[in-house]
Amino acid sequence: MVTREDIENIAILSKLFVAEEELDDLTKQMQEIVEFADAINNAPDSGEEFDNINNLSNVFREDEVVESLPSEEILKNAPEQAEDHFLVRNHA
Amino acid sequence: MKYELVAGFETHVELSTKTKIFCSCTTAFGGEPNTHCCPVCIGLPGTLPKLNRQVVKYAIMAGLATNCEIAEVAKMDRKNYCYPDLPKAYQISEYDKPLCEHGYIQLSNGRKIRILRIHIEEDAGKLVHAHGDTYVDYNRGGVPLIEIVTEPDFRSVDEAREYVEKLQQIMRYIGVSDCRMQEGSMRCDVNISVRPEGSDKLGTRTEIKNMNSINNIAKAMEYEYERQVDVIENGGKVIQETLRYDDASNTTSSMRGKEDANDYRYFRDPDLVTILTSREEVEEIKATLPELPEVKRERYIDEYDIPEKDAALLTKYRKVSEYFDEAIDGLKTPKTVSNFIIGSIFRRVETEKDKESFDVAVTPKQLNELVKMLEEKKIQNNLAKKTLEKMLDTGKPCTAFIDESDLGGVDDNALAEMCRNAIDGNPAAVADYKGGKEKALMALLGNVMKQSRGKADAQAVRAKLIELIG
Amino acid sequence: MSQIKKIHDMLSSKQISCKELTEKYLIEIEKSNSELNAYVNVTADTAMAQAEKVDAKIAKGGEIGLLEGVPMTLKDNLSTKGIETTCCSKILTGYKPIYNATVWDKLENEGAVLLGKTNMDEFAMGSSSETSYFGGATNPFNTKHCAGGSSGGVASAVGADIAAYGLGSDTGGSIRQPASFCGIVGLKPTYGAVSRYGLIAYASSLDQIGPVTKTVEDASIVYDAISDYDPKDSTCQGRKGNLTFDTVNNDIKGMKIGIAREYLDGVRDDVKEALLNAVKVYESLGAEVVYFDMPAIKFALPVYYIIACAEASSNLGRYDGIRYGFKAEHYNGTHDMMCRTRSEGFGDEVKRRILLGTYVLSAGYYDAYYKKAQNLRGTIVKAFDDAFTKCDFVLAPTVPMTAFEMGHAVSDPVETYLTDICTVPVNIAGLPAVSIPCGFDNKGLPIGMQLIGNKFKEATILNAANAYEKAAGENFKDTKWGVKL
Repeated sequence: MVTREDIENIAILSKLFVAEEELDDLTKQMQEIVEFADAINNAPDSGEEFDNINNLSNVFREDEVVESLPSEEILKNAPEQAEDHFLVRNHA
Repeated sequence: MKYELVAGFETHVELSTKTKIFCSCTTAFGGEPNTHCCPVCIGLPGTLPKLNRQVVKYAIMAGLATNCEIAEVAKMDRKNYCYPDLPKAYQISEYDKPLCEHGYIQLSNGRKIRILRIHIEEDAGKLVHAHGDTYVDYNRGGVPLIEIVTEPDFRSVDEAREYVEKLQQIMRYIGVSDCRMQEGSMRCDVNISVRPEGSDKLGTRTEIKNMNSINNIAKAMEYEYERQVDVIENGGKVIQETLRYDDASNTTSSMRGKEDANDYRYFRDPDLVTILTSREEVEEIKATLPELPEVKRERYIDEYDIPEKDAALLTKYRKVSEYFDEAIDGLKTPKTVSNFIIGSIFRRVETEKDKESFDVAVTPKQLNELVKMLEEKKIQNNLAKKTLEKMLDTGKPCTAFIDESDLGGVDDNALAEMCRNAIDGNPAAVADYKGGKEKALMALLGNVMKQSRGKADAQAVRAKLIELIG
Repeated sequence: MSQIKKIHDMLSSKQISCKELTEKYLIEIEKSNSELNAYVNVTADTAMAQAEKVDAKIAKGGEIGLLEGVPMTLKDNLSTKGIETTCCSKILTGYKPIYNATVWDKLENEGAVLLGKTNMDEFAMGSSSETSYFGGATNPFNTKHCAGGSSGGVASAVGADIAAYGLGSDTGGSIRQPASFCGIVGLKPTYGAVSRYGLIAYASSLDQIGPVTKTVEDASIVYDAISDYDPKDSTCQGRKGNLTFDTVNNDIKGMKIGIAREYLDGVRDDVKEALLNAVKVYESLGAEVVYFDMPAIKFALPVYYIIACAEASSNLGRYDGIRYGFKAEHYNGTHDMMCRTRSEGFGDEVKRRILLGTYVLSAGYYDAYYKKAQNLRGTIVKAFDDAFTKCDFVLAPTVPMTAFEMGHAVSDPVETYLTDICTVPVNIAGLPAVSIPCGFDNKGLPIGMQLIGNKFKEATILNAANAYEKAAGENFKDTKWGVKL
């Protein structure tokens, strides 16, 4: 059973606000979705291990430096920047 | 009632790779803000991590040097939390299959500090808070770290201090990290609880985060121990919380206020593949490890007859011990080399950082030559020391000074000649000596030393004089 | 016949210049896009500049590659340097990547002419393209119906001949379902055959980039061009074996087609009938049909939603208003800024999936959902392994119905999830599958079927798909839109 508290908790973890008036609706929706996901509980557990899709291992990069991008490029899409830093103002 | 301290360590050690853990940007310390960055390490949408081979190797080396078992199968996981210094909103780390497990470091009191695990992960960026705003620099984001987690095996602040020093020393020796606490390439979190002496139950613990000097760790632990004992003695209960240590006031304070509930929702990172390490690879890596300081110290004591305290000094830094190893090549008196290093050279290489790099004007080979001359009695001890100082001043080999100011020893023929001169020129002294005045020999000896301008070996002169006087 | 080859011949023989051709496409886009809503960003200048280069080369007597000068499009979740890439989300508005997706690097190097970026469900989460911040793409056969999703814009554009081909991405059917709805071909390659570098992630262990084309030969040509090892993607191995185009026209006599009964459960009658008619075509071409059961795929849908949402909740954590894209205008403190940015920047479906993903990974629920789903993923992989001991490919409907009416998909999330039942097993097992048209319903909307191959057997399914396409060509219809070559 998905509760309002569950939704509030996962919303905090997800960094999402849920308005008080949306909470009941969303809880109901999530309950339906979770019920749908619950179908897997009826599946027999075959104990089949899943590693990664093509069972790949040891894919590495050599430790060789490639020149980084200039900071103007790195900061190009920043909503706000100052003194070559990404800027997060405390209030806006 | 008496209380026992119980502590465990989580230590983050920055690895000395050239590039970051998942991209090819440099790991160089410093640099203008956001200049050691690329689409991958600032987490641009669509970018993917690619694991640096050297990171795995260094982590395995660290595991082997701390007596860990190396996992045959390891994997990378995502630790999810949102914070401005974490560009992907998850840190790639290892959760339930770390590379190294079940090791230990032995302390001088014989106790073993068990190492629960060592895993690899990425560092976060740097936040600068100024005028209420936050400035973000991702240069450090993605720098490879190992996290070394111990069991709660510490029972005193001294043990903690020794552990951190040992860990530092081992990591530097095997060359996986420079472990500079001031620069943040080694950071410690300490879990602390107290319990009545004799109890075997663990008390409620607090965690002090991110301490960057051994002194701070010691002071913070002492403070926190006292605080917890106070709380309990006054009938209170220790609250499990994360603390920060403030150096200036020497107090700890709660780090509450992070809005995050602590649920990291670990799951395997689907962008990365399994890490398999064969037993052969482990053996290969093991073979490349240098002799560890502990073993080396014992060997210096046993094989070279070097006093324990000096052996410890010589092995504290890998470069110093390597210098020593090279300088004693073929010599009969390694102890003399040790004395020269500790007595003379260390006076010029004072700081920890300098000893770490041990960049000395005199090469080990030059020191070797000097000591060899001493062993062959071509030069006497006092002058050898003076010569070493000159060598350290100039970087020139000892022969330069021996030629220049004629510091060469006195050969046997010349010595005999000088002794005869002294005997012939001082019949009174000879007579006194023969008459039983041992001290009279000193006058003759002084005369020979004067003739040789101090180059002659006093012991040899004395023996020769006695021989000639008969 | 192959659109790409046709255009290539026209350009090489100077029947038309690349500029003229590109202009034609741009004009048709201009005329139709207000109704189709296929493109969210038309890159006319880039396209014309590229076309000019191609013309210059031809004028100099240079030989052009098969894809050189061919006007095409990319789904808006493929990173294009300097060209806005939004995933059709408010949260990425204004974002211009500073690097190219590997697939675009490859096609750009081949001289492809990019007409623009196409519409999609926000972050590829949806089945109708209607979760797009820019509104849904419509079906070229009937604009009251949706183009499908999430790669609805690409499918609509290719179906309407306002792009010769395009690239989409398929996480749970996002290439095949809209291809099926729009009466065209969509190939979802084997996981790891095509680099994901630069594809803005929805669910990393399921996402693959693939071609959306008019014909099977086109799919083969484009697949061959993009399936390559990429050092930037640890999970990418590239195409294994020869070019699929080498064998796409081979005889399929003796090929074994597998049909799993579970794939036909709950499938609309006319869709089932179209599939069974296709089987007859195959039999006439000398293929054998084997029937079997695959009970494991009954659980594929919840397994898919659990894994996909779990990964998405993590992949989408990075949109916090600091480094790129949208940032909330008013806030108080960093935490508040992040929450407001995300709450204002993401649409409802994306939020739902982030919440579900967070839920199934959170303490206390991980074992029951995520871990169990991973186990079942292993079971489904095994079921397909078994199936491929009995047949060369599995034939199944792509979608149990035809294109929904606009507005239908958004009204009931769970009901819409159920329509992905036939497409998701392939992503769970990392297999290649190609959807091709196999008929029309009584409203004139296309019906599709998919050929599912074993890992890295794209050549097999493209060969079989092509054989059907050649034999049953009368199923194809042009729409009223677009460039008529």
